[in-house]
Amino acid sequence: MRAFRIVRLRLRSLLHRRNVECELDAELRFHLDRQIEENLVSGMAPDEAHWAALRTIGGLTQYQEECRDMRRVNLIENLVRDLRFGLRTQSHSPAFTAVAILTLALGIGANTAIFSVVRAALLRPLPYAGQDRLITVGEVRSQQELSDTLNPAFWNASYPDYLDWRTQSKAFSSLAGFTGDGFTFRSGSQAETVFAVQATTNFLSTLGVKPFLGRDFHVGEDVSAGPYVAILTYSFWRSRFGGDPRVIGRSIRLDSNSVTIIGVLPAQFEFAPRGNAQIWVPLHIDQDLATRRNLRWISVVGRLAPAASPVQAKAEMELINSRLAAAYQVQNSSIRVVMVPLRERIVGRVRPLLLVLFGAVGFVLLIACANVANLLMARATGRRREFAVRTALGAGRTRLASQLLAESLILATAGAALGLLIARFGARLLIAAIPQTLLDSMPFLRDTHADPLVLAFLFATMIFTGVAFGLAPALELFNPSVGATLKDESRGSAGAMRTRLRHALVIAEIAFSLVLLVGAGLMVKSLTALLDRNPGFNTGRLLTFSVFLPPASYPKDPDAIRFDQDFRNRVAALPGIVGIASTSIVPLTGGGNTIRYVVEGHLTATGEENECNIRDVSSNYFSTMGIPLIAGRFFNDSDDTAVGPMRVIVNQAWVKQNLPGEDPLGKRIKFTYSPTQPFRQIVGVVGDNAEAGLDSPNQPTLYAPFLQDVNPFINYTVRTAGDPAGAIGALRVALRNTDLQLILITPVTMDQIIAQSPSVFLRRYPSLLIGSFAALALILAIVGLYGLISYSVSQRTRELGIRIALGAQRSDVVRLVVGEGARLTVIGIGVGMFVALGLTQLLRSLLFGVSALDPLTFAGVALLLTLVATAACYIPARRAMRTDPIVALRYE
Amino acid sequence: MIVYNCGRSRRMAKPTDLVQGTLDLLILKTISLEPSHGWAIAKRIQQVSREAFQVQQGSLYPALHRLEQQGWIEAEWRPTETGRMAKFYSLTRAGRGQMQKELATWSRLSAAIDLVVQEV
Repeated sequence: MRAFRIVRLRLRSLLHRRNVECELDAELRFHLDRQIEENLVSGMAPDEAHWAALRTIGGLTQYQEECRDMRRVNLIENLVRDLRFGLRTQSHSPAFTAVAILTLALGIGANTAIFSVVRAALLRPLPYAGQDRLITVGEVRSQQELSDTLNPAFWNASYPDYLDWRTQSKAFSSLAGFTGDGFTFRSGSQAETVFAVQATTNFLSTLGVKPFLGRDFHVGEDVSAGPYVAILTYSFWRSRFGGDPRVIGRSIRLDSNSVTIIGVLPAQFEFAPRGNAQIWVPLHIDQDLATRRNLRWISVVGRLAPAASPVQAKAEMELINSRLAAAYQVQNSSIRVVMVPLRERIVGRVRPLLLVLFGAVGFVLLIACANVANLLMARATGRRREFAVRTALGAGRTRLASQLLAESLILATAGAALGLLIARFGARLLIAAIPQTLLDSMPFLRDTHADPLVLAFLFATMIFTGVAFGLAPALELFNPSVGATLKDESRGSAGAMRTRLRHALVIAEIAFSLVLLVGAGLMVKSLTALLDRNPGFNTGRLLTFSVFLPPASYPKDPDAIRFDQDFRNRVAALPGIVGIASTSIVPLTGGGNTIRYVVEGHLTATGEENECNIRDVSSNYFSTMGIPLIAGRFFNDSDDTAVGPMRVIVNQAWVKQNLPGEDPLGKRIKFTYSPTQPFRQIVGVVGDNAEAGLDSPNQPTLYAPFLQDVNPFINYTVRTAGDPAGAIGALRVALRNTDLQLILITPVTMDQIIAQSPSVFLRRYPSLLIGSFAALALILAIVGLYGLISYSVSQRTRELGIRIALGAQRSDVVRLVVGEGARLTVIGIGVGMFVALGLTQLLRSLLFGVSALDPLTFAGVALLLTLVATAACYIPARRAMRTDPIVALRYE
Repeated sequence: MIVYNCGRSRRMAKPTDLVQGTLDLLILKTISLEPSHGWAIAKRIQQVSREAFQVQQGSLYPALHRLEQQGWIEAEWRPTETGRMAKFYSLTRAGRGQMQKELATWSRLSAAIDLVVQEV
């Protein structure tokens, strides 16, 4: 009953506001009239009676306001009124509004854009059922002093070990393996290279993925003589087969085989470790790969059994590993099992990058807030009279504060709306700035869009910013001196608290921009250091590509050798070609085989041998690549023959590791993968070169003659006289002339390889982004400082006039004004340095060739900030200098 | 003389607040005898308390509006004896209960105060 009454009253207050207000007026009016009557009765004159009544009653409007408060719907009413008033206020000062909204839009937009990427990469689960139960498992050797050991993307296992894991492990409900390969795909007369995942038949079921058309692989299809079947990715099916559902059962040509299409993967399927794969085929491995326990090439992903924890799985795998080590001492005694969640393998590398960017862009937002807060406070000064009048008329401070907050929320909302546009555009730019090959390995980034979580983030940011910058001017209302405003308005003395708050904001802005500038400086320095790093070979005018020789046409080594010689002769005869060399691995593309060896005369326990990279190269490889000879000689054509003398060339890192202080020439080594390996003599020492990436340390490497270990997949490096990309056409013709059925696989210049490499991307991307953020921050901070100093000068016109009248030199005035700015700048720089010293540590994993505390960067940034800040103060200082004392004194 | 004049700080006062609580009680008690308008309530409290309490308009009307919004009292526009329309307040059924409760609280409180005061 009572509840009904209350609801009815509230609704009436809201919906029949006018009536309720009239009643309130009438009620109070009635009271007033009775008071007047009483006064008249007591013998007062009518006028006097009226005024006396008003006096007894006091502030009518205040009581009205209090009565309104009792209705408990004020909150809603006031909000609506505040918003309406706020909109009106904003439209009075379009320039201010535009600047504030734009600043906020940039801040909110940039944050939302970065967040949408973070969301796609770090917050989105992998698109597999129970994705947190998927673990990537690999084997590494403790002697393998290669940076690859740290990178789960390079963790492999040998096939026999993988099979033993599968049979012995209970903690994994399934263990699946995969590797990748390229195939020549023919349709009609067209031939192209398609990338494929070769997987064990349980692979898709381990991921929990089902083909959306057709079927999964059957058990037993992954044997060397297994049936040739393929599952297409959705995009390949759409682009090459027009999305025809009757494609199941059709045959396609891959290399020289006829392969039956058995399924199509769902549209949203992705597998980042092989993001560029267009088709999936079962593993067809030959006897050698299937049985050799020391060839580690297969990547393994396991799904934890329902009851097992990662810790249990780890313990179990270590147990299995030690059993294998005991059983196969030669191959497995120094093997360690490593495992991380599959998710970690996929996003681990970009996580620090994204978090750093997210942090950096957060600073931009803070600076934007500080700037708008400063603008609002400057404007609030102009509105002091308005507030004072409204206070006198009965507005409570909370009412005024909520008015100010409503205004700032209007700004924030407009900023967020515009920010959403910026975010959508920005997110697209962020993705477009990622090289294609890297995007292939991060397919989840293609899923960057404004989903509900991103919108929630935008909304939260909006509220946060609205409150953050609206609070400063609102807080000031609680400054007790506000009441005095009406009186001292003309004195123009800014309240101490106001000034302190505005100073603090500007100091914070300067400090934050210093942090960003230092971050940007360190990243740019890393990038330059990386690009300046001599990779050990000449990267200019160098083209690389691959050729695959199908076993059907090239069954034996001599066939491949014949092709290689013939093709290289044809290319070398082309105009504009300086040289062509064959190699098993092109530097800076990652991957490559390693080999274990013993040095003659060195005692090495079995299983404890050193391991290093091995590269099979043609005799002219070093001269073509521009790798310098340090000692001895390069291979010659008599070395590089199939049955030639067993000779090797080593690099300097290898010498440093194996024969420090000795003359390596003439020393002999033996590979240990088979007991029948002969000794090989070292004939030369060459310079080190960057292998996996520009940022990887120089690794010990052995070079062996190319023709002694011919692989059907040959990499060529071509040095050209002119633009290397321009030679691709001629090379294609030369290849077709050598063998009509072969195609040029992924021709790419070394410059492109470098530009698209993860090591460069990991520096260039943040350099670009943090750089832009820092530039934006610097502009905002300087605008803030300029605004503050200009304002301070305009407030002090009278004081400055008096000083000049009393004989102050113009230079004194300039010093006075610039000094005020300089003081803030110096404090800001000091605070910023302190913060930066801590925060740059987080950048560490991204830095290259520069310390996180690089004094030059810190000093340079501090100097830059000081100069720009001084310049910003100098403009108002000049204005102050020109103050005419007469005008200034008459000013009042 | 006690002047009921609510300051800003009391606007959000809780019902336990002694002064506000007593004003509410005085209002409830006054209109429980007969429905009255604000002016009459103020005058009546003044007279009955032999001028000890002077209820200011600034505290009376917010209190009336609050009690109304809380559902303890209800308002009705009616002509006064002079024929002019005025807002008359009367107790609701819930308000009567509330008044009993507040009366009890008041008796307990004043008895307690008496005890303390007489002890000295």
